Amino acid sequence: MRFYRSLLVAAFASIVFATQTFAAVTIGAPAPDFSLTDSNGRTQTLSQYKGKTIVLEWNNPGCPFVRKHYASGNIPAQQTAATAAGVVWLTINSSASGKQGDIDMAGAKAFVTQYHAAPSAYLFDRDGKVARLYAAKTTPHMFVIDGTGTLRYMGGIDSIASADQEDIAKATQYVPQALAELKSGKPVSVTTSQPYGCSVKYGP
Amino acid sequence: MRRLTIILCMLAMTHIGGAHATSSVKTDELGVELVSQSSTLAPGATAWLGLHLKHAPHWHTYWINPGDSGLPMKLNWSLPPGFIADDIAWPAPKRFSVGELANFGYDGEVLLPVMLHVSPNAKPGTFVNIVVDARWLVCHEECIPGRATLTLDLPVATQAQVDQRWRVAFAAARGAQPQGEPLKASARVSGSSIEISLPHGELRDAARLDAFAVQGKVIANTPPAVTLRNSNIMLIFVKSDYFTSIPDALDLVIVRTRAPALRAHAVFAESGAISKPPH
Repeated sequence: MRFYRSLLVAAFASIVFATQTFAAVTIGAPAPDFSLTDSNGRTQTLSQYKGKTIVLEWNNPGCPFVRKHYASGNIPAQQTAATAAGVVWLTINSSASGKQGDIDMAGAKAFVTQYHAAPSAYLFDRDGKVARLYAAKTTPHMFVIDGTGTLRYMGGIDSIASADQEDIAKATQYVPQALAELKSGKPVSVTTSQPYGCSVKYGP
Repeated sequence: MRRLTIILCMLAMTHIGGAHATSSVKTDELGVELVSQSSTLAPGATAWLGLHLKHAPHWHTYWINPGDSGLPMKLNWSLPPGFIADDIAWPAPKRFSVGELANFGYDGEVLLPVMLHVSPNAKPGTFVNIVVDARWLVCHEECIPGRATLTLDLPVATQAQVDQRWRVAFAAARGAQPQGEPLKASARVSGSSIEISLPHGELRDAARLDAFAVQGKVIANTPPAVTLRNSNIMLIFVKSDYFTSIPDALDLVIVRTRAPALRAHAVFAESGAISKPPH
């Protein structure tokens, strides 16, 4: 019995740890505000875009899954279409200093240029604060927030978990689907999916 | 370093072994070999094939449910007519914690067994050409996708012969399988937790328990709290961030220290237990 009690303590300790570090966000609840610096040195907050639909995309240029969706043109095309329709697309890099994907402002600009990407802004979150706020686990990991600031989608970029570009055409692209449904006033049909990719490169 | 990583990624992405028939490939991170428990195949019988993985220190590949990130090994078989390969008989996984994130998979040496159903029409004296397209993701802190086409030619004989080279590896693979019939368990959602109740018997002497869900989107990937309630063992998991609706059931692999892993099939009270009214 004493044995089970010690097990219990150990396991609860790990759960408490997990919930302290990761504040989960919930579909249908307000998306938490944040303030980050972008690749032009400007401060960007979520709340400054109130009234607009916002996409958050977790990014790490060194991650093969990110490369799959950039080299294929999938994410750049989604960004171009979304921003043309008035959506704000914030790409967030939470790689800690010295970890894979830790790039500087010039590196971010070069990345965007290389892939003809079209985010509204490329944001740095080196301490992982915003990633933890949203419980971002993978790159890519996507969130869609509506004009009232309510979280409407969170999860994977698409429906086929793989590192192969050839799977993109066969997969359901969840962000464009959610954006189209929001635009036409329909309920979002897929509100959550299991994100897949590299782990977010959190610091210690 | 970044450029080196990109080059490594590109190398790994290229179709290793596609040019000519090979049963094994090796990168700095992972060796992959298609192996057979038997050196001959018997018509109409079953035979064990396997993918023997050798991970470089600190690198790992993934279980069927990879956890917070990663991808499981994906196999696509090309076999002669009448031959069928089952899904991977996944060995019980290990937990890898990277900061707050958890992954489930394998390191060191591991064999992923696959049961082959040999065609009853296979003719003794002929050779069977077995081809598999394998795709994997191998990670340390960084991840590298890999892909290879591996082939094996095995002779058909009236009786299967054990290949001594792989006897130990297949025996170890059998030992690493979750053992026995799945324990009948019940599950319920309780606020932000998922509680799984298991019969006490099999688990009472277990040193330490960990449990892994085969299906994603139900429980978070942190280890369960384990407690005794009446004569049952309760595994209390945090509900997944991606939980959308109560499933009928959840399949678990329960890993014990110094005892074989077990399976459990947990039926959710809110859905499975409610019997439909008769028509």
